[in-house]
Amino acid sequence: MSGRWLHTRQAAGRVLAHKGALLSLLYLALMIVTALLAPWILPFDALTQDYVNMLQAPGAVHWFGTDELGRDIFARVIFGARTSLLTAAGAVTIAGLIGVPIGLVAGFFGGWRDTLLMRFVDVLLSLPGILFAMALIAVLGRSQMAALVAVGITGIPSFARITRAQVLSLRKRDFVTAVEALGGSSSYNMFRTVLPNAWSPILVQVVILSSVAILIEASLAFLGVGIPPPTPSWGEMLRTGKSFLHDSPTYAVFPGLVLTFTILSLDTLGRTLAKVLEDRHEVVDSPGGKP
Amino acid sequence: MTLRVRGLKVTFVGSGRPVPAVRGIDFEVSANQVLGIVGESGSGKSVTSLAISGLLAPGTQVQGSIELDGVELTTLGAEALRKTRGRDVGMVFQDPTTTLNPVLQIGRQVIEGQVAHGQVQAGQANQRAVELLREVDIPDPEGRVSQFPHQFSGGMRQRAVIAMAMSGHPKLIIADEPTTALDVTVQAQVLAVLAKRQADTGAAVILITHDLGVVAEVADQVAVMYGGRIVESGPVQAIFEHPRHPYTVGLLRSVPRLDTVDTRLVPIIGQPPTPTELPTGCAFHPRCPVGRNRLVCAGQDPALRAVGPSHSSACHFPEEVAPLMAAAEPKAAVGPRSPAPVEAPTTAPLLVVDQLQVYYPIKAGVLRRRVGWVRAVDGVNLAVHAGETLGLVGESGCGKTTTGRAIMGLVAKSGGHVLFDGQDITHLKGDGMRHVRRHMQYIFQDPYSSLNPVLTVGDIVAEPLRIHGLYDSLGGAKWVAQLFDMVGLSTTMMQRYPQEFSGGQRQRIGIARALALKPRLLILDEPVAALDVSIQAQVINLLQDLQRELSLAYLFIAHDLSVVRHISDRVAVMYLGRIVEESTKAELYKSPVHPYTQSLMSAVPVPDPGARATRQRILLEGDIPNPSSPPTGCHFHPRCFKATELCKRESPAFVAYPGSPTRVACHHAGPLP
Amino acid sequence: MIAYILRRLLQLLPVLLIASTGIWAMIYAVPGSPVAAMVGENATPEQIQAVTVRLGLDRPVHVQYAAWLGSALQGDFGLSIQNREPVLNLIGQRIPATLQLGLAATLVGLLLGIPVAVLSALKPGSLLDRGLSAWSALALGVPTFWLGILLILLFAVQLRWLPSASAYVSVFESPWDAIRNLFLPALTLGVYVSGIFARFLRASLLGELKADYVRTARSKGLPERDVIGRHVMRNALLPFVTIVGLMMATFIGGTVVTEAVFTYPGLGRLLIQAISTRDYPLIQGCILFILLVFVFINLAVDVLYAYIDPRIDLE
Repeated sequence: MSGRWLHTRQAAGRVLAHKGALLSLLYLALMIVTALLAPWILPFDALTQDYVNMLQAPGAVHWFGTDELGRDIFARVIFGARTSLLTAAGAVTIAGLIGVPIGLVAGFFGGWRDTLLMRFVDVLLSLPGILFAMALIAVLGRSQMAALVAVGITGIPSFARITRAQVLSLRKRDFVTAVEALGGSSSYNMFRTVLPNAWSPILVQVVILSSVAILIEASLAFLGVGIPPPTPSWGEMLRTGKSFLHDSPTYAVFPGLVLTFTILSLDTLGRTLAKVLEDRHEVVDSPGGKP
Repeated sequence: MTLRVRGLKVTFVGSGRPVPAVRGIDFEVSANQVLGIVGESGSGKSVTSLAISGLLAPGTQVQGSIELDGVELTTLGAEALRKTRGRDVGMVFQDPTTTLNPVLQIGRQVIEGQVAHGQVQAGQANQRAVELLREVDIPDPEGRVSQFPHQFSGGMRQRAVIAMAMSGHPKLIIADEPTTALDVTVQAQVLAVLAKRQADTGAAVILITHDLGVVAEVADQVAVMYGGRIVESGPVQAIFEHPRHPYTVGLLRSVPRLDTVDTRLVPIIGQPPTPTELPTGCAFHPRCPVGRNRLVCAGQDPALRAVGPSHSSACHFPEEVAPLMAAAEPKAAVGPRSPAPVEAPTTAPLLVVDQLQVYYPIKAGVLRRRVGWVRAVDGVNLAVHAGETLGLVGESGCGKTTTGRAIMGLVAKSGGHVLFDGQDITHLKGDGMRHVRRHMQYIFQDPYSSLNPVLTVGDIVAEPLRIHGLYDSLGGAKWVAQLFDMVGLSTTMMQRYPQEFSGGQRQRIGIARALALKPRLLILDEPVAALDVSIQAQVINLLQDLQRELSLAYLFIAHDLSVVRHISDRVAVMYLGRIVEESTKAELYKSPVHPYTQSLMSAVPVPDPGARATRQRILLEGDIPNPSSPPTGCHFHPRCFKATELCKRESPAFVAYPGSPTRVACHHAGPLP
Repeated sequence: MIAYILRRLLQLLPVLLIASTGIWAMIYAVPGSPVAAMVGENATPEQIQAVTVRLGLDRPVHVQYAAWLGSALQGDFGLSIQNREPVLNLIGQRIPATLQLGLAATLVGLLLGIPVAVLSALKPGSLLDRGLSAWSALALGVPTFWLGILLILLFAVQLRWLPSASAYVSVFESPWDAIRNLFLPALTLGVYVSGIFARFLRASLLGELKADYVRTARSKGLPERDVIGRHVMRNALLPFVTIVGLMMATFIGGTVVTEAVFTYPGLGRLLIQAISTRDYPLIQGCILFILLVFVFINLAVDVLYAYIDPRIDLE
C-alpha cells in the first residue's frame, strides 16, 4: 500500500508544481470556502433590495456595484457561485454514476452489450448538449433540479466514451487476460483489475465536466431558461446586465469575470492533471525490440 | 571509400544529469564490407547509428570524429549535413510498419529522396520507383508502386524500405535491426536482398543487431558493444572462434543454437546496465566471471587494445578468456536430464488435443453477413505427457498462439476436442473451467503487459490463490515467499510494484504466479522472445530447472527454432493453421522430412561464420499466405520446392513417416538430397 | 463505398427514430395538457374540446406519432401556435442567416486556429508555444456570451463603430453592411472555434512529429518543409476531419447563444422565442430540424474520413 500512496503524493506534487494549476487550485479553494461561508461573512445578502442605490458603480461599500433593484452585486456573485457549484457537483455525479458503468460494461464485454449501450449514448449525442438541456427544461420546467438533471444527462456520453476507450485499451493488455486464465470471473476482472487502472482519465473528466457543467448552466440562464429568479445565478446576471450596458457598464463585467476565472481554473486543473497522469503510465519499451 | 569513426561520444543533455549513451568508440568500414555491431539494450548501438547520420535530437552533445569518404560530418552545417545524408547515407530502420508513412503511396516514398536531391526528374520518378521495387524482388512492381504500406506484407515493406534507402546509390547503408520484427523465412529473403543490393552498388554496410546468428552469416567485421563502448572488435571468424572478451564469450555461451547438441546454457548473471546507471571502471565487471572481484576491473575502464591481427579487446585480462571458452565447448553428451526416451512414453498423455479448430468469421457487405472464415487453427492434433516439453513452432500467422489460447479456453473453439487428464474440457465454462485452470496455467510473452501495475508483485503472485479461495490452504504468505525463492527473486521485493522490475524479473514474476496453484501443465507463449539475449538464457534455465523439480509438462510455443530445440523433448511445426511435421527433438532437427521444416531450418541464422559457405540454403519465394484465403490442397504448395499437381488438389493426411517417430503431412516427405 | 454509406445509414436509423420519438413525446411530458398551454386559462370546455380535436389529440397515441412523423418526413412540421404559419417556413426564413453566421465563424476559426497550432507545434515548450497555448485556453474558457457582451461594450457602446444588435444582411446583397453586422458575432463565435481547432491540431501535430516515419523522411535528407508539409500535415489533418463532427455540437450550441447575445435573427433565436412562448410545434420543429442536420453532418464527416484515409477498408 505504501507504494501507491507514494505515487499519489508524487502525482499531486507534480500537479502543484505547475504554476497555472496551483493558482487555479487556490482560486477554486477560495471560491468554495467563500461560497460556503457566505451567509456569515458577507456584509450584504443577495436578496435585499434597496431602491435608493440602484445601478451604482463599484465603490468602497459595494465592491461590484449594485444591480437594478439595488442588490449588492458582489453578494449575488458569491451566492451565484453556490448555484453553479451545486449544479456542477450534481451534474457530474449523475453523469459519472450513469456514464462510467455504461462505458465499463460496453468496453469490457463488447458484442451486443457494446452495440446497445453505445447506441443509447448516440441518442444522447444526437443533439448538441445545450439544446438537449433546453429541451429537457422545456419539459421539466425551470428549477435547480431540472438544471442539474439536464446538464447531468448531457454529460453521460463523455464519461461513457472515455471509460469505454480506456477499458478497451486495457482489455488488450495481458494482465487482464492473465486473470481470466487464472480463473477469475468477468466481474472480478472488470471491477478489481480493469477499473483500478482506468480511473485517471475518469478523474480528469470529472474536473473537465465540472467546467462544462458550469458553462452550460450559465448559458442556459443567459438564454432565459435557467434557474428562475430570485435565486442568484451568474448567467442570469449577465442576461440582465446586458440590457443595462449603457447605464451600468460594469454590471455585466464582474459576474462574467468570475465565471470565466472559474471555468479557466477548472480547465487548467483538468489539463494539468491529464498531462501528469499520462506521463506516469509510461510503459518502458521491451529491449532488443523482438517480435 | 571508408567511414572512419574516432572517439565518438554521445551525451544526452536533459533536465537531470547528462546521460552518456556512447562513451568513446572507434571503428572503420569500407566499401563492399559489412560491419556488424552487436549489442543488447543500453549498449548504445542505435544511438551510434543515429549519430552517424545526424538524426539525433538537437541539443544532444556529439564529440569526436565521423569521417565519410574524407568529409568530416561532425562539423558540417545543418544544410550540408542534410544533403550528405540524403545522397550518401541510407538508413533502414527496424519496424517497417511505422517506418513508412501510412497515408502516402509506396512509390512516392521510395523515390522522393532522389527527387528532392535532384538525382531524378519528377517526370521519370514513377518509372524509377518501379525499377527500384523490381530490384528488391517485389512482384508486380507496376501495380504495387501506387499502393499504400498497409497493403504490403511485413517482408515486402522492409524490402521497400531497403529500396528506398538504396535508391540514390549511397556510399553507406546503416541497417538498425532490419529483420528483428520479421519472420525467419522472411528474414532470410530480406538479408539476401540486402546482400544483393550491396553487391550491385558497392556500398559499405553497417548492420546493427542483437542476433549473433545474423552477424555470423552476414558480417565481415564485428564490433561488440556494451555500456556505450566497443568491448571487442575484429574479423567475424576471430570473434566467433577466438573471442577475447568475457562479454562476447558470455553472449556466445548463452545463446541457444540450432546446430549444437544439448548443453546447459550459461547465462550472464545480472542485467545489462542502463546508460544512467553505469558501473564504475569496466562497465561489464559486475557480471564478469573474470573481473567480478578484481579491483582493477572495478576501478579502471580498460582501453581497446590489440590482441590479434585487426582484433582488439577492451579487457584487462584478455588472456584469461580463452580458457572460459574452452570450458564451455559443446559436448556431445546429453543434458542434465536423464536420457530422453526415443519411443513415446507409455503413460497416458496429460493433454490431448484432437482436431482442434478455431475459425473466425469474415463479415462483409451492407449487413455484415459472414462471407467466409479465417481458419486460424485448422485441425491440430497434439499430445503432451507429464514431465515433458512439447515445442510448438511456426512463423507469425501460423496459429500457434491461437492454439495455446484455445486450449486454455481464452479463445472460443470452433471444433475438435481438448482433453486434460482424461477429462473432456472442450465445452467447459465458468466454474467447471475454473477447476481445470488450477492445473493448467499460462505464461505470456510480453513481461511489460502481463502484470497489473496497481498491485504489488506479492499480490500479483498471490492473486490466483485468492481467486480460487486457496490462499490459506496452500500456505498463505509463506507459500508466496517460497514461490519467489523458486524463481530466484528476493522476498524483500514483494512489496514493490511491477514498474520497478526489469523484463527478465517480470517474466519470473509471471512464472511464479503461474506456479502458485501447483499446476501440472504450463502453456508458455513466447516466454523469452521479448527479453535480451543474456537474460533469455537465465529464464530458459529457470524453466528447465522448475520442470525437473516440479514434474511439470510444458507446451512451449515459439518462433525461435534454436530456443525450441534447446528446451523441448518433442517438437511440432505449424504452418497456416495445421501441423505439418511432428517428431522427437533429435529426429526433427537431424533429419526433417517436410519441405517447410527444411526451409525453416535452413533460414535460421547460426552463429558460426565457418558454416556460411557450406550451409544448404533454401530460399522460400513469396510471403506467408493470408489465413482467410489459404491455398487449395496442401497449404504450403505455392512456396514448396517439391510441389506437384497432386499437392494443389489434395490436402495431405497427417501420418507416421516410416522408420522414425516422425509424423508428417506431405505427399513428398523425405530428407533433402 | 456505397456499402459503407448504406451501413452507416442503417446504424443511424434507430438513433434517429428514438431521438425523434423523444422530441415528439416531449409535449406529453409537460405538466398539464398541451391543450391548456395553447388555449389559456379561461377556456370553456367546448373550446378545449374543439382545440383537442383540431390538434388530433383525441386519437390513440401511436396514431398521433405516426401522423406526426409522416408529415414531418414530407416537410410538414405543423403550424406555429403564435402566428399560425407553417413551422417549416419559419425555419426556412432563418436558415440563410444562421448559415452565414456559421460560415463566417468557421472562417475566423480556421484563420486564427491553424497558424496558432502550427507555430505552437513547431517549437513545443518555447515561449511562443506557451503564449499561444495560453491564448487557446482563454479562447476556450471565456464564455461566448460574455465575450460577446465585452465586444459590444467596446465596439458598440464605447467606440460606437459597430451596431450592438446585428441584423441579417445577406452578403450577396450588400457586402459592406453584411460585414458590419456580422463582424462581432462572427468574431465572438470564431474565437471559440479557433480555440478548439488550435488545441486539437497542436496535439495532433505533436503526436505525428514523434512518429517513426518522420525520422525516415529526415533520414532521406528531405528538406524540413517537405517533412512537415508533405508528411506530417497530411497525417495530422486526417483526424482533424473527425473533429469537425465533434465540434459541430458545441458549434451549434454556440450559435444559439451568439444569436441571443447579438439578437441576430437566426434559427437559434427562433428556438429561444419558441421556448419562451411555449410554442410546442415550433419547438419540436426546430429541434427536429437541428437533429437531422447534425446527424447528417456527422455521417458526411464519417464518410469523408473513410474516403480520404487509405487505411480504412470501405467494403
